[in-house]
Amino acid sequence: MSCSIELKSVSQSFRNNASEKNASTITLFENLDLSIKQGQSYAITGPSGAGKSSLLMLLAGLEVPTSGQGRFINDNHTSTLDNLRAEIGFIFQQFHLLPELTALHNVALPLKLRGDKQAIKKAEYWLEKVGLSDRAKHKPSQLSGGEQQRVAIARALVFSPKFIFADEPTGNLDQHNANEISDILFASCQENNAGLIIVTHNSLLASKAQHIYSLANGELTKALSTNSVNDQQAELKQVASC
Amino acid sequence: MLNHHMQLSWHYFKQEYNQPHQRLLRWVQATLMIFIVTLTLASNTIQHYLQNNLQNLLGADAVLTQKDKLTPQQLTSLKSLSKRIVNTLQINATLTFNGKWQSSKLKAVGDDYPLQGELLTSTSLQSPATVTRGGPVAGNIWLDSRLFASLMLSMGDVIKLGEESFIVARVLIHEPDRLMEGHNVAMRAIVNKLDMGKLAFPADLIQYRYLVSAAKSQVLQLIDWQKEQLPAAKIHHKSGSHPLALFWQRTENFLGLTSIILFFMAAIAIEQIAQVHLKKEQYFSAICMSLGASNVTGVQLSLFKWLINIMVLMPIVAILSSVFHWLVVSWLSATFSEIIWQLDVWLTAKTIATSVLLFAVFHSPVWLTLCQTSVSKLFHQNQKSISLALVKICALVVLVLVAVNYSDNGLLTLMLVGSILITITLIAGISWAVLTLGEKTTQQFSGLVPFTLFMMKQRLLSKSTQILGIGLSTFLLLFTLMFLKDLGDTMGAYQRTHDGNLMVAQASQSEMKAIEQWAKESDVDLRQAKPYLYAKVVKINNQTLNEFAKKPSDSLATLSHAIRLHWTQALPKTNSLVQGKWWIKDTKNWQQISLEEEVMTDLSLTLGDKLTFIIHQQSYTFTITASHVYKPGAGSIIFWVQMPEAAIAHINAPHYNMASLELNDDQWPLLGQLWQQHPTIRMVSLQELTKQFDAILAMITKVISGFAVMIILLAIIVILSSINALEDKEKKKNSVIMSFGFLKATCWQLNIIEWLITALIIATGAIAGTYLTGMLIYQSQFSLSYQPDFLILFITLTIILSTVTLLGIYASRHSLKSSVKQLMADT
Ligand SMILES: Nc1ncnc2c1ncn2[C@@H]1O[C@H](COP(=O)(O)OP(=O)(O)OP(=O)(O)O)[C@@H](O)[C@H]1O
Ligand SMILES: [Mg+2]
Repeated sequence: MSCSIELKSVSQSFRNNASEKNASTITLFENLDLSIKQGQSYAITGPSGAGKSSLLMLLAGLEVPTSGQGRFINDNHTSTLDNLRAEIGFIFQQFHLLPELTALHNVALPLKLRGDKQAIKKAEYWLEKVGLSDRAKHKPSQLSGGEQQRVAIARALVFSPKFIFADEPTGNLDQHNANEISDILFASCQENNAGLIIVTHNSLLASKAQHIYSLANGELTKALSTNSVNDQQAELKQVASC
Repeated sequence: MLNHHMQLSWHYFKQEYNQPHQRLLRWVQATLMIFIVTLTLASNTIQHYLQNNLQNLLGADAVLTQKDKLTPQQLTSLKSLSKRIVNTLQINATLTFNGKWQSSKLKAVGDDYPLQGELLTSTSLQSPATVTRGGPVAGNIWLDSRLFASLMLSMGDVIKLGEESFIVARVLIHEPDRLMEGHNVAMRAIVNKLDMGKLAFPADLIQYRYLVSAAKSQVLQLIDWQKEQLPAAKIHHKSGSHPLALFWQRTENFLGLTSIILFFMAAIAIEQIAQVHLKKEQYFSAICMSLGASNVTGVQLSLFKWLINIMVLMPIVAILSSVFHWLVVSWLSATFSEIIWQLDVWLTAKTIATSVLLFAVFHSPVWLTLCQTSVSKLFHQNQKSISLALVKICALVVLVLVAVNYSDNGLLTLMLVGSILITITLIAGISWAVLTLGEKTTQQFSGLVPFTLFMMKQRLLSKSTQILGIGLSTFLLLFTLMFLKDLGDTMGAYQRTHDGNLMVAQASQSEMKAIEQWAKESDVDLRQAKPYLYAKVVKINNQTLNEFAKKPSDSLATLSHAIRLHWTQALPKTNSLVQGKWWIKDTKNWQQISLEEEVMTDLSLTLGDKLTFIIHQQSYTFTITASHVYKPGAGSIIFWVQMPEAAIAHINAPHYNMASLELNDDQWPLLGQLWQQHPTIRMVSLQELTKQFDAILAMITKVISGFAVMIILLAIIVILSSINALEDKEKKKNSVIMSFGFLKATCWQLNIIEWLITALIIATGAIAGTYLTGMLIYQSQFSLSYQPDFLILFITLTIILSTVTLLGIYASRHSLKSSVKQLMADT
């Protein structure tokens, strides 16, 4: 059972309404194709302002492209990206934990909202996975940035989404912490069979992904990943099995 | 540098002008300032009016009033202390004509009247007023125009008073000593002094007034002499206080107490708004500091900005409060004739300055925190220092102290402040209990309600401030409205439970006999009759009244006049005992009294205190041995002060009676006959009483409605500011929830559930608080048993629930405009 997200010849542009007279349009990209598969990891790099975050929003179905369309293919059943909503989790550069909740309750939050009676148990399990079981009762303000991001990872994965979107997840962390966090993130997604899409400037982080894309001047190009040989083989196998 | 900061503040002020927290702050401050300034201006106008009144309408340099004629020696002493004396006599009498009757103040004057000022009369209702020297000749009577109208008289008619006949000769337009008639709007008539003797009124009902012209030093001597020689007499002089001054002071105190409540609410709103200010300004200040500025810069900018924000309000406040002042004055002109509106810039400025100072105290936590801000604090947000809590508690204590100090009715104030505190505790308790229990019991269940309860419990601290703020406002509003409604109901009920529809307030022994006789002949039902005598308190524990009781109060105001002293063997059915022991039958120890409980509380009297009365020019000292309160159900004739029946044998004074009668419709016309023969019987029909009640009720309704509008306005501001304070947090929460794959609809549902729970807690707390307060205050202040109407309670609950929920959701609409995208963009 594998799902995927497909963007078909999408374009994104914004009208600049700042001044009435010279209302210009910013076009980020045109006729862009991209396919994301569950269980795989993707990195999108590129210069600032290229439109990486915008692309992420399109993939997540949170925004509608100016032209072209996005599709969500679930078990050969194709639908619009609106149906993706319940299947995705986010990880932010700013962590965005709720300050009045403890780490444990932050992780349990999505499950509680879904009415899961095992919420706390599952949250404890995930906290342990990210190595924070001893900080379960601490509030975000008592945690370091790296620890907060680990809680955020646990929170994003705890309700087993099919895809995880992460925009600069290590942007606020030092190299050592970034490395550790990205390892946890990749491992967890792999284990959960969740698709991971990371937007980053950090080449080390990007290099951990199975697929690396670079967005610049409106062009999305696939870069060769360091472990691309293995991955390409794996991908071929998967395509064959489909 | 300073100049530069000011420019910068102006710039930021303009930038923030339309932001909700600044707008809310302006609204609270403007609303409250307009109220306070209007109140101050209006009361100042009245004080001026009274002072002016005293100067122009006393008709003498000093006026001595007492129940008895001065003895020849006393008169000689008085003469030696003055230049000239004019003596007048007053009595309350009912005038009858052609089967109509009208109670009025009858004054008897001689040829030497008036002493100072001008007496104005006219020969017919239409002709112009002329200055007149001396009163009417014997056998003539002059009446004011309202008496003409009320009795449908015309010039030359003959009025019978007792056995005497009087010819209506002139219209009375103005008496220069009118002030002494005080605030009462009774209709007035004048006869010659010689006729007063012929009328043979009971001597003790006549009031003797001596108008004195004297130099200032003589007036001072006169006052000393009166204190020494005539302690039961009353003296008014030009440099003293207006007869209405005490009454007005008490009204002012009451208004002061109500404005304290409004300040309470404003303090809550400002506290909520300050949280937003603090966050923004702390952030800004920290940035300034990270750019090398000192933290003084941040504080200065914040201060300037706040000052500008309040300064732009001042013209609006000044103009609007002047307009309101004008409206109030025109409304008051019905009561205080010839009162005029005047602009008072200095007082306006002073009042605004005081309010600004108070607002500054409420806002001071922001500046205090900014002083403590350091760059490192930027990294550790959410740190609340203890000193802030201390400042807030101090502000609260200041408010309470001012409130207690302001009021004349210590018990009522304490109860009000007490019930506010009780309500705060109650609401805090209810929110804790509901959220904790709710969360515990719904843990097993899935769904949005348990989740909302869980989230609210986790944010108990910030949530409970919001709940407390809105809850307290709702409580105050509810209490005000309930008070208004119940006051109306009580007045209605009073009329119904009143036994008899004709009350006799004062009848001498012979008059009482005539009443009994008349009742028997006309087959009228005489319900109750109770005897009393007049007594005036001159000393408490050997101190004069004013030395003993420093604060004005209802009780003090009453005790400064002669009171009705009732005697009885056993505890009357209309009373119950609250303190001490009632005297045994035919006790030998006759010098003991029982006092009404409220009088005891108002004057802080205790059992064993000694009261000295002047009764019929003799002084008697009694010890308080008991205290009683009104017990409904057994009639309405009650007395504040009661003594053993045995005392009567030792006191030589005229006796009077209070009574109640029940007349049916055809018996009313028979009353004229009784009144014509006994014009001095003081009777009032229930109908007249109802009219008076209605007039009072209409006035109270106006005042309380205005007050309720103020409270509603402030309550809305409190709700908006409490939501504004939590908006950032809410926004983030909603975005985060949406990032878990939920739709906006879920956030709306959560929001609605949260507001429903909040409103439920608030409504429960406010209603319970109102109920408790009702029980407390009603029992002690109005001797009413408080019986809540459950239908009304239910309706109130529904109204609060829907209003708070709708307002809450409406005000939270900004925080629902969130998206995952904002979380990504948020750096
Ligand atoms: N809603 C919008 N309206 C107008 N312009 C927008 C909007 N959203 C994004 N843009 C513009 O599109 C461009 C790309 O933005 P985007 O956030 O996708 O860049 P990015 O590649 O993520 O950059 P960075 O690496 O700095 O995060 C920017 O110039 C931005 O100003
Ligand atoms: Mg970006």
